[in-house]
This record gives sequence, C-alpha cells and structure tokens, in this order.
Amino acid sequence: MREWLSVFRRGLAVDNPLTVLMIGLCATLAVSTKVEGAFFMGMAVIFVLSMSSAIVSTLRSLIPEQVRIPVFIVIIASFVTIVDLTMKAFLPGVYTFLGVWIPLIVVNCVILGRAEAFAYHQPVRLALADGLGMSLGFSLVIVVLAAIRELFGSGEIVFLGIRLIAFPEWYPAPGILLLFPGAFIVFGFIIALAKWYNGRTSTRLVQTDAHCTIEEGGR
Amino acid sequence: METLQHFTLLLVGAALVNNILLTRFIGLCPFFGVSSSMDTSLGMAGAVIFVMTLATTATWVFWNVLLAPLGVGDFLYIPAFILVIAALVQFVEMYLRKASPGLYRSLGIFLPLITTNCAVLATATESVRPGFFKMGIDYGFGFGEALVYTIGVAIGFGIALLTFAALRERLEVAPVPEVMKGTPMAFITAGLLSLGYLGLAGLFGL
Repeated sequence: MREWLSVFRRGLAVDNPLTVLMIGLCATLAVSTKVEGAFFMGMAVIFVLSMSSAIVSTLRSLIPEQVRIPVFIVIIASFVTIVDLTMKAFLPGVYTFLGVWIPLIVVNCVILGRAEAFAYHQPVRLALADGLGMSLGFSLVIVVLAAIRELFGSGEIVFLGIRLIAFPEWYPAPGILLLFPGAFIVFGFIIALAKWYNGRTSTRLVQTDAHCTIEEGGR
Repeated sequence: METLQHFTLLLVGAALVNNILLTRFIGLCPFFGVSSSMDTSLGMAGAVIFVMTLATTATWVFWNVLLAPLGVGDFLYIPAFILVIAALVQFVEMYLRKASPGLYRSLGIFLPLITTNCAVLATATESVRPGFFKMGIDYGFGFGEALVYTIGVAIGFGIALLTFAALRERLEVAPVPEVMKGTPMAFITAGLLSLGYLGLAGLFGL
C-alpha cells in the first residue's frame, strides 16, 4: 500500500507532467480559458490515462517490443473515441468548446509517455496508481491555470451555467489573460512557483526516499 | 487570377495569421523541447515541413477514397489517421536510411518524435474537414487547397520555431532572476512573441 501511494503521489508534485516533465502542454494552454472546459479536459485525461495504463500493463507480456508504439496508440485511440462520442452525446456545449482537443488526446505526450516509460514495465496495480497520479496532477495544474485566467481575465467564473464567483462591476478585466499571450505568461509563473516549491521540499523528500526502496525500482 | 489570390491568402493565413504554434497552441512540445539551439530547430523545422506534407497527402487520399465513401469517417478518423501517420513516418525513416544517409542524419532523430506531434494530426484532420477547429464542419478542401494549406502551416511552424530559438539563445546570457531561469522565462518570452503574432490578426481580412 505504501508503495502504491508513493507512486501515486509522484505524479502530483515531484514528477508532475506539466510543471516538471513539461509534456502535454498544447492542450493545457489551449483549453484553459474556461474552468469548465479545463475541468472536463482533466476528466477526459484521467479516464484515458488510467484506463490505457491499466490495459497496457495487463497486456504487457503479449505486446512484442518492436510494434509496441502502434499497439499503444491503438489502445489509447479506442479510449479517446469513447470519450469523444460520450462527450458529444451528453455534454454538447463542452464538446464544442474543446473541439479538436478531444481527438488530439491521442497524441498527448503524457499518455503515450506513461505507457512507454511506466505501464509497459510494471504490474497493473502500480500502473493504475501512476496513471491516476499523473492525470490528477495534470488536471490540478490545468484547473488552477484556467481559474486564474478566467477569474482575472473575465472577472467571473462560470461553471455549467452557474456563476461561482464574480468580481464587482468596476473591476477592469484585462482581456489579454484570456488570449494566447496570457496563457504563456501565467503558465510561466506557475512553473516558477512549482520549481520553487519542489526545490524547497526536495530535502525532505530525499530523507523519506531512503526508507522506501521501491522508488528506484519504479523508474 | 482568382485561384492564385485564393491560394496566396490560404498560404499566408495558415502560416502567419493563424500560426499553428503561437496563436493556436498546437505542437508545443517540440517548440519548447528542441528550441534551445538553432541547429536542432532547423532540423526539426525541415522534418516537420517534409512529414506534414506527406502525411496530409496520405490522409487526404485515405479519407476521400476509403473513409468518406464508406461513411465510417466520423468515428474512425482518429485511429485511422494516427495509424496512417505512424506507418508513414516509419516508412520514410526506413527509406531515408537507405536512399539518402545525409538527409537521414540531419532529420533522423526528429522523425519518431513527429509521430506524436499533434501538429501533424491536427493539420491532417483539418485538411479533410476544414473548419473542424471551429466545429463548423464542412467537408471538402480540394487536393490542391489541402496541400497549400498544409505547406502554409508547416512554414508557419518553422518561422515561429526559428524565431523562438534565436530569442532563447540570446536569453542564455541575459540576467534573469534565479527562480525564473530556464523554462519559466522561456514561457514568458513565448507569451511576448505570441503578443506580436496577435498583431497580425485581421490581416487581409483573414
């Protein structure tokens, strides 16, 4: 259980796919103009990544090494098609907003990267932990980024038609935050913050790592 | 004359006004991954122009000959396109290794990376389903239009990547606060560059 938790926790901070590994950036920056879109993008990635990690890990003894990448892609593409059609049926508004980004989850480096680097060599239980941790870490960052951009850029956060929080009328909403430059600049500051936080806690993590040797086996 | 004007607008629109990297955020992984030096960026830009053109040609034919007439395009296009692109990149790599070792050495390491570059899949999808990005789906770029559009997108990718690589090389020697060093500063630079591209919006009424 401790092993499971430590793999799970990795994705959230020390190995966060967005702020530390810097993969899967395109979708993050593009859909983070609205908390609603970012939230459902996160949900889609949680589903696709944990399911595909589990399946890849289950079939790992059957997949020949030479053709592993096409096999991974087919597994991932099946789950993405499930998300694509489900979202089109039940959440048409969100689906229109996310647009091309749903099919593009197939080529999201986070998912293929985790299948290749982790799930292909690990038992199902740990692959699932890694998938869940990584995708939750991804969702956390994307929702924080979207919340900052939507709140300060438009002065309010609207989630599925409900207004969650709003600034008073006189707040001069700087629309630039909602445009492309805003995404890059806000995300730059988020990375700097994550770097500072990881740097501050790294001494503590090194000490706890000495007690659980699986950390090394996990890579 | 009409057609020439149409194609020019398509090319400029795809390359500059709707720049794939800086105004649409597609293909950012290589943008931050390889842009730390000018040489690798040049290699990557060349490889993208080459593969993207081939990929769109293949998927356009695949869509118009197989998927659309059979009526299975709507739910099969994701796995079908990505497999066509992956197979194509694999073949190109094998062919180049035999036929042109020089080109292989300069493009080689970037080719596998390109399979998972969303820019290629996005452009291939858009060329058969124009307006997909805005969800106003209408089928039917002709082959010429699809090709010109793709070349425009690829050139835009190259221009943005090379500009950014030049900026980052200059940034190496600039005094940047300790915590902002490296990627955080690269992102803020990209933000400013993207601000510049924003100025092109509305050029020629595009």
